[in-house]
This record gives sequence, C-alpha cells and structure tokens, in this order.
Amino acid sequence: MKQKKIINTLNIIAFLLPGLILFIVVLIAPIALSGYYSFFDWNGFGAKTFIGLDNYKELFTSSAIGFLKALRNSLLLAALSVFLQLPLSLGLALLLGKGIKGERAFLSVYFMPVLISTVVIGQLWLKIYNPSYGILNVALTKLGLESLTRTWLGDVKVALGACFVPTLWQYVGYHMLLMYAGVKGVSPELREAAMIDGATSWQVSRYIVIPVIKPIIKVSVIFAVTGSLKSFDLIYVLTNGGPLHATEVPSTLMINMLFLRNRYGMGSTIAVMLIFLCFAFALLINRAFKEER
Amino acid sequence: MKRKVLATLLAGVMALSLAACGGSDAGSSAPASTDSGSSASTTTTTDTTATTSTDTSATATGGDQINLEMWCIATESDSNRHSYEAAIADVTAAHPEINFTWEAIENQAYKTKIKAAVAADEMPDIFFTWSCAFLGEFVDAGRVYCLDDSIANFQYKDELPEVMLGNTTYGGKHYGVPLTMNIVGLFANMDILAEVGYTEVPGSYDEFIACCDKLVEAGYIPFGCAGKETWCVTEYLESVIEKSCGADVLNDIFLGRATWNNADVASAVDTFQGMVNKGYFDPDGIALSNDEVKANFMQGKYAFYMNGTWNCADFAASDFGSKVKVSEFPVINADKAKLGQLIGGPSDTLAVAASSPNAEAAAQFTLELGRLICHYGYLDGCGLPAWTPYGDTSSVNPLTQTVSEICANADSYVLFGDTAMNADDANTYLSYVDQVYGCQIDGNGFVSGLAADIR
Repeated sequence: MKQKKIINTLNIIAFLLPGLILFIVVLIAPIALSGYYSFFDWNGFGAKTFIGLDNYKELFTSSAIGFLKALRNSLLLAALSVFLQLPLSLGLALLLGKGIKGERAFLSVYFMPVLISTVVIGQLWLKIYNPSYGILNVALTKLGLESLTRTWLGDVKVALGACFVPTLWQYVGYHMLLMYAGVKGVSPELREAAMIDGATSWQVSRYIVIPVIKPIIKVSVIFAVTGSLKSFDLIYVLTNGGPLHATEVPSTLMINMLFLRNRYGMGSTIAVMLIFLCFAFALLINRAFKEER
Repeated sequence: MKRKVLATLLAGVMALSLAACGGSDAGSSAPASTDSGSSASTTTTTDTTATTSTDTSATATGGDQINLEMWCIATESDSNRHSYEAAIADVTAAHPEINFTWEAIENQAYKTKIKAAVAADEMPDIFFTWSCAFLGEFVDAGRVYCLDDSIANFQYKDELPEVMLGNTTYGGKHYGVPLTMNIVGLFANMDILAEVGYTEVPGSYDEFIACCDKLVEAGYIPFGCAGKETWCVTEYLESVIEKSCGADVLNDIFLGRATWNNADVASAVDTFQGMVNKGYFDPDGIALSNDEVKANFMQGKYAFYMNGTWNCADFAASDFGSKVKVSEFPVINADKAKLGQLIGGPSDTLAVAASSPNAEAAAQFTLELGRLICHYGYLDGCGLPAWTPYGDTSSVNPLTQTVSEICANADSYVLFGDTAMNADDANTYLSYVDQVYGCQIDGNGFVSGLAADIR
C-alpha cells in the first residue's frame, strides 16, 4: 500500500516536472533575473556595478527618465479602457446577445480588428492621422471643420488620445466577444420570468444579465488594466513615445533604456516595477469585485 | 484564497511577458524588436542565398576554407546597398579560400541586435558599427579586435589617411575600418528660392533670414524637419550652435571636455528656437519620419532641408537633382565661428570581433572590403571617401562633387552629437533637443538641464 502511494507520488512528480521546469525557465527565471539586474549599473556587456536600490530611487526622482509621466500615461489609458472601452463592449454584447438580425455578421465585423497584426493597425492609423493627406483631416476640412484639423500624433495635447482610439478600435471586439459569451450563457428562463413580471429590456440587462456576467466583466477589467500598463506595440509604431514623451509608457521607456541608452540595470528596474504594478492592480480589481459581491 | 493567488499570478505573468523579456540578459532580449526583426530575417535569407552561390564556386576552387560572417545595415532600400554588393563581389572573387556570408538588418533593429550579440559574445566575425562612443563601448568591453598590425600589413595602407582613423582610435589603438564620411548639408530647392527672387543660396546669415522671411510671406515653408526622429532636429540645431559658438566649443562639450553650461550655447539655442517660433519649420513635421519629410522636400513642399550628405545620391538620381543645390549653413557669429566648420566626419565603420576564430584573416578581409565599399559608395554619391579615391571618379554626381569642395575647404569637423556621446548621454541630449524643438524649454533650460542630467 505504502509502495503504491510512493509510486503514485512519483508519477505525479514525473508528469508535473516538465511543465514546472518550463514554467520556471520561461517565466519565473526571467523575472528573477530582471530583479537581480535591477540592482546593478550595467550597460549590458561591460562590468556590472552593484548599486543597491539606486536605480529605483533614480526611477522615481529623475525628470530625465520621466517614469512617473510614463506611468501616468499608462494609468490614463487604463482608465479610458475601463470607463470607455468596456462599457462600449458591454453595450455591443448586450445588443448582439438579444439575437438581432445579422448577429453573426456583426460579431465577425467587430472581432476582425483583433485578428489583424498591431503593426498593420499602427500603419493604417498612421495614414489616417497623417496631417497632409490623412482621411481624418481631409474629412474635417470637407465638412467645414478645418479649425479642428491638427497634427494628431504630433500635438502633445491630443497625441495620447489619438493613440487610444486605435486601441479602442482594436480591442473593443475582443472584450465584446468575452461578454457576448457570458450574455448568451444567461438562462432564457431568467429573462422570461423578469419580462413576465413587467421588467423592461433595460431592466433585464441591468438587474439580471450584468450581475450574472460579473465574473467575465472582472476578467475584462483585469485584461484592460494590465494590457494598458504593458501597452507597447501600437504606441511604438504610432509615436514611439513622442512627441515630447506625451505618449511615453513604461514599456517604451524600458525599451529605450535597454537598447538605446544601454542601461540594462535601469531597464530591468522598469520591468520589475511593471511586474509589481500588474500584480498590485490585479489584486485590487479582485478585491473590488469581491467586496461588491 | 488559492484561486485568488493563482489568478493574480497568471495575470501578472501574462502582463510581464514583455517586461521579463526585455529585462533579462541580452540573449533573451534580442527578439524584443519583433516587428523589425521579421523584416530583418527576410533580408538575411535573401542575402545569404545570394552570397552562398558565390561562395560555392569559391569553395570549389579554394584550398583550406575560412568561414567569415558579416552583419551590416545595407538593406535593399539602403542607398549603400549597391556599393556593398559590388565590393563583396570583388573581394570574394579575389579570395576563393573564404566562405563569406552576410546579413543586412534595418538600422534601428541592427542597433538592438548588435548590442545583444556583443552582450552574449556571439558577434559575427565582421560587423558594421558607428564610430566614437558606439564602438567605444564595445572596445571597452574587450569585444573588438585591434587592427594596428593588420593595417600595418595591408598593401593599400597608404590610401587610408591617419586622420580618418581618429574616430575609431581608442587608447592609441585602431579598432575600425572607416567607409565613407558625411557632413550635414543645407539642401535648397532652387525653384522655390527663384519664386522669392534668389538665384543662389544666401551666403550670409542676415540674407538667409531675409530669404526665409520672404518664403514665409510668400506662403512657402522654409525648413523640412522630421520631429519624429530627433536626430533630424539635431542636424539643424548643431549647425546653428556651431556657426554661433565655433566648432571647438561644441566639440569640447560633446566629448565631455567642457560643461554644457555655456551662455553662448544657450543663446544659439534661443536663435534656433526663434526660427521655430517664426514659422520657419513645417508644423506637421513633428509627427513625420525623415523619409516622409525627405519625400515632401523632393515634391517641393519645403525650400530647405538640412540633412546628411548621403542624400546626394537619392537627389541626384531623380529629376529633382537639377533643382537642388547643397551648401553649408551660413555663419551666425563671425567672431567665434567661420565657414568650413562642419558637422560630420567619418562614422560608418566596419570592425572585427575579438572572438572571431579567424580574426586576422577577417581583419585583412575587412580592410579590403572597406576600401572597396568606400570606392563604390563614393562613385554612387553615398558619401565622401574616407580612403583616398582611385580610378576614374568623373561620374560622381555634381551634388557630391560640391560636398567634396566644401570639405576640401573644411576648417574643422564636429561629429554628430548622438554619435560622439555615449548611448545614455546621447539619449538625454536628444530628449532635451526634443524639448527645445517643442518650445517646452529655452536655451537656458537646455544648457542647465543637460549640465545637470548628463551622467
């Protein structure tokens, strides 16, 4: 009996070990290495100098690095995602969930941008925003709204918002699909019972459907917030953090430190801060939804 | 509780896939530039295939074969591409004992790739590099092969002036083979200047400003400048500083021999910002890349375009070549600066990895290759020769010939600021240049900020 238990335990270990090793090598080790390098002043190929927490101090105090501004931009993107993108996705999910005509076609259309490469989307929106021939400025001019035309990606006041629009366009379908699956999962009996009791369509959505799909909304909020914190590709293609760091986010700053400034220690410090922030926000969101429940 | 921890862990790990990749060691950092990397690998395949066919014939006739690999930035769209291909064809034909393969990677992606390779000590035998601080950091790390003996033994060593080796000399030792040299030129669209009554590029600063004012009045944009790529802004700013304060002042600051806190520099920066505020620069330029601005200039959107003289080849090869003239920026303060003080110098360089198993053979091969790339590049108009030209050079385009004349009368050169400084300082500098161009800070803010933030 005892021998069988040992064999079972060994079997479990044998089956878990490959996955565990992969998990450690691919995910845990790079994070641990980032933490290790964050304590050094290192250009990536010369000698490393141990400097303790100096990189962390510099990260939060140096105006030349501008981490706080990058973080603020990320949080702004996160807020826009949560309060603009997700309600829009929810609205679309509720609308399509009612089984309107052309439901499948609309689902495909809204989900299509998710399938397109971000670099392609970036190039597409670069053309849309082009100050000379971009469709946005041309359309505004044709509509007699010339005063509204501007250099969308070159104006510090609107560049971040201009970067958010393609993000919204790209991911609204993704969140919509998640929520749509939840909406479709709501028991028809619940809806019918509410309708018989005299509830309007809005009241059914507000008091029946939304509470039922709250776990999915929580997942969407976590994806939206952590996605905004680590946003990189679209901003890299559209503005590369400019103009004047108006669209700088921690990931573009990290790439700048690692590969342009040769500051591997500082780049690793930003990586560690991103890890910490993503964990912290995931915990906060979990707690917020738990308390509400 | 367990579920909460697991969910949090998974969310964090997902969010960090990017962060951890960049933050770990250089070997794992390399793929970070995913988008650029993919285009690079396409080029690689093409190049390798092309050169392998040459090598196969070489192998058939050779004895002991030596394998050499080179990385460079001469991609299909690079104006230097032809000179690399022609030079490689010549050198590989002359050395059947060498199996030579090469990869061309897009400029920005290359910087990432070569740094990652240096960090991992997995460099190719021969690699393209920029001179001064860029190569200097690799030399400091002991990753670059010293070329002193190789140059001394090279049969064409007399064609390589010692002065051209200055930017790749560290501690008195030579580590790079210069290819071409370039300066910042003031390109002018003469058709537009004619519209406001000028048949020549104004020679004095006062005339130049008067010309710009006339252009603005007539509805033309005087300068095209790509604000999205800050190095393009420095082409203007550094010229204004140099022609206000003199080459020595700027050189000393770039090389760390003098502080940025210099009242003359602050005043020069204000002069440059005055041009921005007077509407001399295209306001849309801040969101445009250099390729877009260059295309706009060639389409007649701007009267002037200050940029590297490597553009001569592209301008001369098109119909636009007949409309454009190149000159140097006029002197702003004749008490401190003079004509002939130029921004630029030899920067494009080939170097040999110290880790190469055939380092000396690679060094000799690199010297021959560098000499020929320089030769063909000069004939193509991609820059001025770092090596003494040979053969018939009468086919060189008129723009490059004008640049040759400017350089023949040169008094001194100040290397591009972002090449002269180490990577961290250069990016701090570029960040301040951005702020000046965006009118976020003035001249005093620029010099005091740089004095405080340059490490």
